[in-house]
Amino acid sequence: MRGCDGTLWPSLPCSRFLLSSSALLALSSCGGRQSALSPAGEDAAAIGTLFWVTLAIAVVLFIAMNALFVFAIRTRTFTLDPETARWILVLGGIVLPTVVVGGLLVWGLSLLPDQRQPGDGLRVRVVAEQWWWRVEYFPEGAEEPIVSANEIRFPAGQRTELVLGSDDVIHSLWIPALGGKMDMFPGRETFISLRPTEPGIYRGQCAEFCGASHAWMAFEAVVMEPDAFDAWLAAEAEDAAEPVEGAAARGRDLFLAEGCGACHAIRGTDAIGQVGPDLTHVGSRESLGAGRLGVTLDDFATWIAHTDDLKPEVEMPAYDHLTDAELADLAAYLGGLE
Amino acid sequence: MTRPTHPPRPDEDRREFSEEAASLWRITFAPVVWAGHFVLCYGIVSLACIRGLMPIAATRAGLVAISVAALVAIGWLGWRSFRQWDTAPDRAANVGETEGRHAFLGHAAFLLSIISAIGVVFVTLPLLLIGDCR
Ligand code: HEC
Ligand SMILES: [Cu+2]
Repeated sequence: MRGCDGTLWPSLPCSRFLLSSSALLALSSCGGRQSALSPAGEDAAAIGTLFWVTLAIAVVLFIAMNALFVFAIRTRTFTLDPETARWILVLGGIVLPTVVVGGLLVWGLSLLPDQRQPGDGLRVRVVAEQWWWRVEYFPEGAEEPIVSANEIRFPAGQRTELVLGSDDVIHSLWIPALGGKMDMFPGRETFISLRPTEPGIYRGQCAEFCGASHAWMAFEAVVMEPDAFDAWLAAEAEDAAEPVEGAAARGRDLFLAEGCGACHAIRGTDAIGQVGPDLTHVGSRESLGAGRLGVTLDDFATWIAHTDDLKPEVEMPAYDHLTDAELADLAAYLGGLE
Repeated sequence: MTRPTHPPRPDEDRREFSEEAASLWRITFAPVVWAGHFVLCYGIVSLACIRGLMPIAATRAGLVAISVAALVAIGWLGWRSFRQWDTAPDRAANVGETEGRHAFLGHAAFLLSIISAIGVVFVTLPLLLIGDCR
C-alpha cells in the first residue's frame, strides 16, 4: 500500500515520485496515489477536466501557430493587403486570446464555489504544524472532537468539510487525487470541502514551503466505504488499548519514563502532552512522521532513534541513547495502539 | 513633419506640445483606472471578508457598480483616442510608413484602453462568479 513498492528504500513513500524530475516517470510511478491526473473524487475530476481541456487548447494553438509560421515564411506566395493583415491581427491577436483565456477563466472560477459547498455532516479540523498535521473529527452534531493526527480519513461518496488552520507558518493542504489545494494560515481559518468517490489510500502533501522539512510534511488520505469509516471512527474515539505484559507493557513504562508523554497524548494514560501528534491509535495509521516512514515495528524504532536524520530540524529529539531492545519495546507498545 | 521656415519664437515649443502633453496624460489614464479598480476590489473585499467591516452582498454590488463605471471611463477614453488616431493628419497611410507623433499617441492610448478594459473585466469575474467570502 505504502510507497512505490520500492524494495531498496521501502519506507520512503513515493521516493521515485519525489526524486524523479521526469514528468513521464512521475506519471507512471505510484499509480496516481498523489496525482491530480488520476482523480478519485468529484472535485479532482472537475479540475482534471479543466486541465485536459486547457491542455488540448494549448496544443492546438501551439500546432496552429507553428503551421502559420511555416506557412508565412516558406509557402506563402502572395502579399496580404493591409486591411486583411489588420483583421488577422485584431481577430487572432486580440479577440481570440481574450475569448479563450476569458472562457477558461470563467470556467475555472465557476468551479471554485463547488469546492466550498457545505458538507454532508462530517467536519474535520486540520491544523498544520512544522511538519505534521493535527486532525480532529467532528461527526455531525459533535461538540467535542475525536483527536487524531497525520492522516485524514474520508467516507466515500460524502462531502466532508475541512476547516484549516496553522500554528506557526503558512502551510497548504493538498490531496491531488481528491481536489484542489487550500492555504493554511496562522490566526485565520480557511475552508474547503471534498467529496471522494473511490475508496483507496491517497497521498496528501504540504504545498507551501514551510521550512527545513517541508518536503517531508505529507500524510495519507484514506477513503473508506461509509460503514467501514463509521466503524473506524468509533474505534478512533476509544481510549488506547492497555497492554498487560511483555514487550508492549515494558514499552509503555519506557514511554512514560522517557518523558514522551510531555509532548504526546495517549488517551487513557498519563501522557497528555500537546506538543506532538496524538498517539492514541498511532498503530492503526498508514504512515509515521507525517508520511515519512511506514508503520512496521522497525519503522517505529528507526523513527524514535533517528528523528532528526529523517526530518531535519524536527522538534522531537532523537532518542539514540536507547538500546535496540528498548526501541523494540517502544515499537511493540506504539505499534499495538490500534 | 515640415520644418518651420520662421525664426524660433519663445513659446513655440509649449504651443506645439500642449496638445501632446494632454495626450501623454490620456495614454496613462486607462491603465491607471485598471490599476485603481484592481486595488479597490482587492482592498474592499479583504475589508469585508477578513475584517468583516461590511456585508459581502452589498460590497459585491458596490464593486460591480464600480467596475461598470471603470469600463465606461475606459470606453470613453478609448473612443477619444481612437478618434485622435483615426483622424490624425499624420496617420500612416500605407504599410511601411511611420506614424506621426499625434497619431501614435492616440493609437497607443487606444490599444491600452482595450487591454485595460479586458483587465477590468477579468478582475470583475470573481465578483460575479464566486459570490461570497468562501
Ligand atoms: C519535544 C517534544 C517531543 C518529545 C519529548 C517526543 N516527541 Fe515524538 N514527536 C514530536 C513531534 C513534534 C512529532 C512530529 C514530528 C514531525 O513529523 O514533524 C513527533 C512524532 C512522533 C511519532 C510519529 C507520530 C505520527 O503520527 O506519525 C512517534 C511515534 C513519536 N513521536 C514517538 C515518540 C516517543 C516514543 C517519544 C519518547 C521516547 C517521543 N516521541 C518524544 C515531539 C516529541
Ligand atoms: Cu507545511
